[in-house]
Amino acid sequence: MSIRYRLDSIQTSYDSRTVLDIGRLTLRAGRLYILTGANGAGKSTLLSHLALLTAPTSGEIVFEGETVHWSNSALQRQRRDVTLVHQSPYLFTGSVAANVAYGLKLRGVHGDGLKQRVEEALALVGLAGFGHRRSRELSGGEAQRVALARALALETKVLLLDEPLANVDRNTSDLLENIISALPARGTTVVMTTHDPEHLERLKGERIHLTAGRLAAPQSFSNTSVEEGEIQPCRLSPKPATSFSIA
Amino acid sequence: MKLLRPLFITLAVTLSLVSLAAAEERLKMSTTTSTQDSGLLKVLLPPFEKKNNCKVDVVAVGTGQALKLGEAGDVDVVFVHARKLEDKFVADGFGVNRKDVMYNDFVIIGPKNDPAGIAKAKTAAEALKLIAAKQATFVSRGDKSGTHMKELELWKAAGTDPKGGWYIEAGQGMGPVITMATERRGYTLTDRGTYNAFKGQKTDLAIVFQGEKGLFNPYGIIAVNPKKFPHVKYDLAMKFIDYVTGPEGLKIISGYKAHGEPVFFIYKK
Amino acid sequence: MDFFSESLKTALELITSRDPDVVSAVTVSVVVSLWSTLFASLAGVPAGVAVAVTEFTGKRAVVTLLNTLMALPTVVVGLFVYSLISRQGPLGGFGILFTPWAMVVGQTLLAIPIVANLTMSAIKGADPRIVPTALTLGAGPFESIRRLVVEMRFGIMAAVIAGFGRVIAEVGVAMMLGGNIRGYTRTMTTAIAMETGKGEFALGLALGLILMTVALMINMALNALQQR
Repeated sequence: MSIRYRLDSIQTSYDSRTVLDIGRLTLRAGRLYILTGANGAGKSTLLSHLALLTAPTSGEIVFEGETVHWSNSALQRQRRDVTLVHQSPYLFTGSVAANVAYGLKLRGVHGDGLKQRVEEALALVGLAGFGHRRSRELSGGEAQRVALARALALETKVLLLDEPLANVDRNTSDLLENIISALPARGTTVVMTTHDPEHLERLKGERIHLTAGRLAAPQSFSNTSVEEGEIQPCRLSPKPATSFSIA
Repeated sequence: MKLLRPLFITLAVTLSLVSLAAAEERLKMSTTTSTQDSGLLKVLLPPFEKKNNCKVDVVAVGTGQALKLGEAGDVDVVFVHARKLEDKFVADGFGVNRKDVMYNDFVIIGPKNDPAGIAKAKTAAEALKLIAAKQATFVSRGDKSGTHMKELELWKAAGTDPKGGWYIEAGQGMGPVITMATERRGYTLTDRGTYNAFKGQKTDLAIVFQGEKGLFNPYGIIAVNPKKFPHVKYDLAMKFIDYVTGPEGLKIISGYKAHGEPVFFIYKK
Repeated sequence: MDFFSESLKTALELITSRDPDVVSAVTVSVVVSLWSTLFASLAGVPAGVAVAVTEFTGKRAVVTLLNTLMALPTVVVGLFVYSLISRQGPLGGFGILFTPWAMVVGQTLLAIPIVANLTMSAIKGADPRIVPTALTLGAGPFESIRRLVVEMRFGIMAAVIAGFGRVIAEVGVAMMLGGNIRGYTRTMTTAIAMETGKGEFALGLALGLILMTVALMINMALNALQQR
């Protein structure tokens, strides 16, 4: 399967504190990746890079075979193949339908086609008929699902999810898990973060674990879907691995 | 922006409905506050505006500033009362065709009991000398207006340089100065017209000195020199001057009464 | 003398009789202030947004300058514009001194710092997720900022209303640049100043009450529009 991302010698620091240091990371089309790690391990920073929102301090990201130039006008075109759902998503003021339609309109979808795709996306997350509701009047779980619908409607090549299952009830969680696990079959690359070992067990995904900004073999979870042979140069040495490839 | 759109549309409609620009010609006149505050202009201007289909824009300021506006070419005609400054204005080439219009007189007002005893003075200069000697409160316009110039002239004649806590330089128009003098129980020099408008309800100060020829207060009207400022509306300004100093204007001026008393007087031909 | 009850009575009389001088002063005040606010918003809102969303060297100085300009005395603005548009000034050729447009120029300058500053504060206080959310949904840099402005429209509207409040209440610029010409550039505030000067305190206060009523009505209308 084709390669979506290739990250090479990525280093990111804030105020001279290095928060992310990844030698090599390859992400493929049609896969589900589960990103784990403690708070502050660099998960959000990595997602932000993958969303092409922020540039790393140094290093190169190749997306769909094209090197990302951060100040380039091509960036916006590349960014349209990716979308990210924040763990506490922001909904624009206005109706739920307007929120879901926002990205579609930017991609030139109008009229009946737009209406149809908005309704489909809302139905997918179990919010059929919610289109006319004001975004500010939704509960936390509903808002989370609207944000997911807003992202799903775009049918992007990459879907990045920051803790999508953290703030929802059990039923919603099951529903979202089903939606998420169905995506790779359509060729979508999904990268999601989670804290919850249960999700890790149920979702058949490849695991990426970050420890203090570096790729590492997971310590806390025993059953990882990433097989031993795929972790190439990572030895359990005191010095953390800087090169890590999930092939 | 969708939500802001109705706002902008409403704004645009409101603004276009009420147009600021008027089609008729506008004559700009700077004048002293006394001509406006006395109410004279309200009756003097409309017949002229009607006949010539124009508007006379009145900027009422102190005489000094009124002349300055003429010197800058910001007005077309000036209507003021400070004979010496007017002559200088013409001599310096800023104005042409100065004409006498009317006169009234200045009076010195003060508390009824006249603490400085100026009622018995023979001349206005002597009255001021008495005020200075007693250090009685005196409120000066202090704003380079015609009245202020007159006052300075009188102090000079009195041989006194007014200074001290008793001498208040207000830097304001005639009205506020009368109000201030009333509150501070002081004397002040005012034109009779403005005082008449204030006496009774607005001030309990009385005229304590009047009727001396040194207090004569003539008003003149001057067109701004078109050779110096080609943009001025000289023809309209001249028409206005002819109107004000002609029989129609003079009749209105001499017939104008405020609070039952004439305010301005015209010269007997 | 009971100024207040007398002026209340006078105010009601002036309103019920539709006194032409008062009607004209109210119209001039409102129209000039609306134009000034419109122009100030066209300049101040984009400026405020630009300063808020961009990082550049000297930004702190610009913000300090904007803060200082907010406290600019109206007579200083009046004098400054006067020196420009007097016949002897560089822009004298337009001949706009003592016209309503002169007041619009002065009041626009007066309102720009307020509108820009409050817009800047509103945008700075915006939810930090707005721009990234728009970007991840496919917006370009311009569209993401446009979205930010739409999301913060209440704050920006408040900035515009504050600008309007500043200009409709000011007297320095109106008096200096407009000249208090009856029926042409006489505004509510210059009329109040003039009536006070003439010792007509009750009439001045009555005009003040009318000014407040008018300002209240306009603010309510703007708020109603904003709620839509």
